[in-house]
Amino acid sequence: MTLAWTLLALLVLPLIGVAAICLGAAPRKTALGVSLCNLIPGFLAFGVVLREGELLFGAEASMIREVFPVQFRLGMDGLSMALVGLTLVVTLAAMGVAPAEVKRAKEYYICLLLVGLGGLGAFLSLDLFYFFSFHEVALIPSFLLIGIWGQGDRTGAAWRMTLYLMLGSLVLLVGLIGLVWAAPETARSLDWRMLGETLRANPIPGPQQTWLAALLLVGFGTLVSLVPFHSWAPGGYASAPAPAAMLHAGVLKKFGLYGLLRLALPLTPIGWKELSWLVGILLAGNILYLGFVSLAQRDFRWLLGFSSAMHMGTIFLGLIGGTVLGLGGALLLMVGHGLSAALGFAVAGEIGHRTGTTWMQDLGGLAKRAPKLWFYLMIAGMASIGLPGLANFSGEILIFFGAWSAHPVLVGIAAWGVVLSSVAMLRAIRSISTGPVPSHLAAKEITDLRGAKEVWPMALLTFFLLAIGLVPNLILGPARPVLERILQP
Amino acid sequence: MSSWFCPEVLLVLSGVGLILADSFIPEGKKGWIPGAALLFSFVILVFTLGQSGQPMPSSWQNLFLTDGLSSVFKPFFVLCLLGVTVISVRTPMGNEERVRAEWIALPFFPTAGLCLLVSAHDFLAIFVALELVAISLYLLAAFHRTRAASLEAGMKLLVMGGLSTGFLVMGIAWLYAAAGSTEFSKILVEQAGRPATLPLLFAIGLILTGLAFKVAAVPFHAWAPDVYEGAPTSTTAFLAVASKAAGFVLLVRIFGFGAFALDSVAVFYRPVLLTLGIATVTLGTLAALPQRNLKRYLAYSGIAHAGYMLLALGTLGEAGMGTVVGYLWAYLLSTFPVLIFIQEMERIHGSADIRHLEGLGQKDRGVALGLTLCFLSMAGLPPLLGFSAKLSVFATLWSAGEMPGLVVGVVMAVVGLGFYLVPVRAMYWEREADAVPAQRFPSFLVWILLFAGLAQLVLGLQPRPLVRLVERSLAPATTAVSSEN
Repeated sequence: MTLAWTLLALLVLPLIGVAAICLGAAPRKTALGVSLCNLIPGFLAFGVVLREGELLFGAEASMIREVFPVQFRLGMDGLSMALVGLTLVVTLAAMGVAPAEVKRAKEYYICLLLVGLGGLGAFLSLDLFYFFSFHEVALIPSFLLIGIWGQGDRTGAAWRMTLYLMLGSLVLLVGLIGLVWAAPETARSLDWRMLGETLRANPIPGPQQTWLAALLLVGFGTLVSLVPFHSWAPGGYASAPAPAAMLHAGVLKKFGLYGLLRLALPLTPIGWKELSWLVGILLAGNILYLGFVSLAQRDFRWLLGFSSAMHMGTIFLGLIGGTVLGLGGALLLMVGHGLSAALGFAVAGEIGHRTGTTWMQDLGGLAKRAPKLWFYLMIAGMASIGLPGLANFSGEILIFFGAWSAHPVLVGIAAWGVVLSSVAMLRAIRSISTGPVPSHLAAKEITDLRGAKEVWPMALLTFFLLAIGLVPNLILGPARPVLERILQP
Repeated sequence: MSSWFCPEVLLVLSGVGLILADSFIPEGKKGWIPGAALLFSFVILVFTLGQSGQPMPSSWQNLFLTDGLSSVFKPFFVLCLLGVTVISVRTPMGNEERVRAEWIALPFFPTAGLCLLVSAHDFLAIFVALELVAISLYLLAAFHRTRAASLEAGMKLLVMGGLSTGFLVMGIAWLYAAAGSTEFSKILVEQAGRPATLPLLFAIGLILTGLAFKVAAVPFHAWAPDVYEGAPTSTTAFLAVASKAAGFVLLVRIFGFGAFALDSVAVFYRPVLLTLGIATVTLGTLAALPQRNLKRYLAYSGIAHAGYMLLALGTLGEAGMGTVVGYLWAYLLSTFPVLIFIQEMERIHGSADIRHLEGLGQKDRGVALGLTLCFLSMAGLPPLLGFSAKLSVFATLWSAGEMPGLVVGVVMAVVGLGFYLVPVRAMYWEREADAVPAQRFPSFLVWILLFAGLAQLVLGLQPRPLVRLVERSLAPATTAVSSEN
C-alpha cells in the first residue's frame, strides 16, 4: 500500500479544522485536536522517507506545454522531513500555548491554523507555484493576528511586517520566474525537482546566474531577516501574540532558508559562489550589528526578536561554507532555532500574561515565585546561546567546522556572536529570574505553570531540543544524501 | 438567416421592448419590468455563451467579424450587463420614479455597442459602436437629475468623452490619409514590410490617445475618480469594468492582430505603451493610498490595474495579449462583486465611505469574507485569481526583457497590498463588536460575494478554464461565408 496520501492529509487536516471552526466547532479544542491528529500522517510519511528516501504525491511532473502549467504535486525527502517535523511540533505547541479565553476566538484559531498550513504546504510542495503560494497564505492571517490580538505598537508592526514580506516575496517571485525561464524552452518545468535536473544538464551562464542568485538572495533573505532587510522581524515578533510569534519565528522564517537550500544553492551554484563575499558581509551584519542591538534591549520580547534575527547570520554562514558539514549544521540550527525560538516566545508570552509586562527591569525573582516557568526560560536561553546538549549547539559547531576552511574570519565573527548573544541572554535571565521582586509585583499573585495542561507544550519543545541535541543524526542521517546532492556539480 | 439572432440584435430589441412596454402599459402595472430586465439579460447571457463563435450576419462582413477575441468578450459584456441590471434594480429612485423603465433599459444599448465594438474590423465601425456606448453612458451618468454630483459626473464624462472621441476621429482621418483605408486587414497588408511613415505614426498616436481616455490610462485618467464617485453605482460599474475592458480589447485587437500589428509600428510604440503602463501603475497605486471613498478607491485601483494590463500589452507579443485577456476576466470577477456591494452599502448608509466597513467582520461574516477575498485577489495574493493574473504580467515582462516595467510593477504591487489591506483592516480590526451598529445585507448579496470569493480561490488554484478562454481568444476569425457554405 502506498502512503502518498499522507502528504495530502497533512494539508487537508488543518483545512478541515478551519472548516469545522467556521461551522461552529469549539475553536481551541478543534485547533488542538487537528494539530495532534496531524502527527499521525506525519509519522507515517516519516516512516516511508526513512525507509525509501522520499515520498511523492501527485501525477508525474511534465514540461511546460500550456500557458499555465501548474500541477499540484507534493513530496518529502530527508530535508523537507526535518522541517515538516519542526512545523508539526511547533504548531502543536503553539496551539497548546494559545489561551482558551481570547476575544473572537474563532478568527484567532483560524488564523493560527492557516499560518501553520502555510508553512507545511511550502515545505511539501514540489511545484514552484504552490511552493510560493503556500508561504503567502500565511501573510494575511499574520497581519490580522498581530493587528487584532497583538500588543505594543501592533498597527505599525503589522503593516511593516506584511509589506516587507510582500516585497521580499515579489522579489523572490521575479527570481523564480527568471529561474524557470533560464531553462531551455523545450525543458521548462515548474516542478523544482525537474527544473533542477534540467538546469544541471544545461547550466545557466555565469553572469545570469549571479543575477538570479542575487534576486533569490534578496527575496529569500528578506523573509529570513537578513541584514539590511531585517527590520520587520524584531518588532513584528515583539508585537505578535505568543502563538503567532512561535509559528512565525519558529517555522515560517525557515521557509527562506529552505528555499535557498533547495533552489539558490543547487541551481545557481556559480552565482552563489560569486555572491558569497556579499552574503559574508551581510551575515556579519546580522551577527555583529544585531548582536549589539540585542544587548541594548530592555524588553524581553524585543530581545528575543533581535536574537532570533541574529542567529540567522550563523545559518547563512553554514550556507556559504560550501561543505556538507556546514549545510548539515545549517539544517540542524534551523530546526534547533525553530524549537528554541518557539520556546522563548512561549515563555515570554506566559511571563507577560502573568505579570502584565515583559520589561526586564520591571521583573525579578521569577526563579523563586515560578520555578517551572523559570526552568523553561533557562532552557530557551541556554539553547539560544548554544549550550552543548541542546540542538542549537550541534548546529553551530558543525557550521563552524564546515565553514572554517573557506571563511575563517567569519567563523571568528560568528564565535564572537556567541559571546554577544550569551551576554544579552544571560543578563536578561538574571534580571528576570533573580534579585528582589519589584514592588509593583510583590502584591500580585504570580502563579507558576499549573499542571500538565500548561507544562506540556514547553516540555514538548524541550524534549525535541534535547533529543536532537544529543542525537543530531535524527536530522542529519536522513538529510545527508539530499545535502550531498545539493553540493554536487 | 439565423445569424441575425446575434447578441447585439437581441440586446437592442430587449432595450426597445422594455421602453415600449413602459409607454403602453398603464401606471401601477409596471412592477414586472425590473424582473423582465433581469430575465432578458440572463437569457441573453445564456444565449451568448451558447452562440459564441457564431459568425455575424454576412451583410455586416466588411465591418464586423467574429473571431476568438470577440467570442470571448461578448459573454463578458453581457455578464457585466447582468450585474449592472442587478445594481439598477436595487437602486432606490427619487423623483425619477416615473422614468424607472428607461433607467433599467438604457444599459442594454451600450452593451450592444460594446459587443459590436469587439467584433469591429474597421475603424469606422469602431467609431459608430463607440458613440452608441458613449451617448448611452452620458445619459446614465447624469441620470439622478436632482443630485448635483450625478450631474457633475455626467458633464465631466460628456466633456472628456467628447475630447477622446475627437482624438479618435482625428486619428482615423489621419489614418485614412496615411494608409488609404480604415479596414484593419487592408492596412495590415498594405503597410507590411514598409517603414512606418510619420503621418501613420501620428494617426496611431491620436487613436491611442482616444483609447487611453477609455481605459483611464495616465495622463488621461483624471476624469475617472470624479465620475465614478458622482455617477449612480450601476453606471460606475459599467464604466469601471465593461467600458475599460472594451478599451483594452480594442488595444489588443489593433496592436495585437489588427491594423497596427506591424514591426515598424512596434519599434516606435512599444516604449510608448510601456511608459504609459509604468506611469499608470505608479500613479494609480500611489493615489489610491489616501482614498476614503470606496468608489474613488476602486477608480484608482482600476487605474492601477489598467497600468498592469498596459505593461503586458506593451510587450506587443502573443503572451502579452493573452495576459491582458486573462487579466480582464480576473478584474471582472474581483471588481464587479465589490461594486454590487457598494450599491447595497449606499442603500444602508447613504455613502460609500470606507468607515462604514468597520466591524463588518463581526456582524456579517459572509459578506466580509467574500469582500476580503475579492480585495486580496485584486492585490494579487496567491492562491487567488489575481495572483495568476499578476504572475503572468510579470512573466511576460521578464521574458520580453522589460526590466524597468517589471521593477515598477513589482514595487507597486507591494504598495498596492498596502491599500488593498485598508478595507480588510477596517472590516476586521478597526472596532470591537459592541461598537458596531447592526447592519444586515440582503441574503442575495451574501451569496454573490461568497460565490465570487470562492471563484477567486478555485480559479486561482486551477486557472485552466481561464487558460482555455485565453487560448480561444487568440484563435483566428471565422468568416460568415465559410460557415454559411
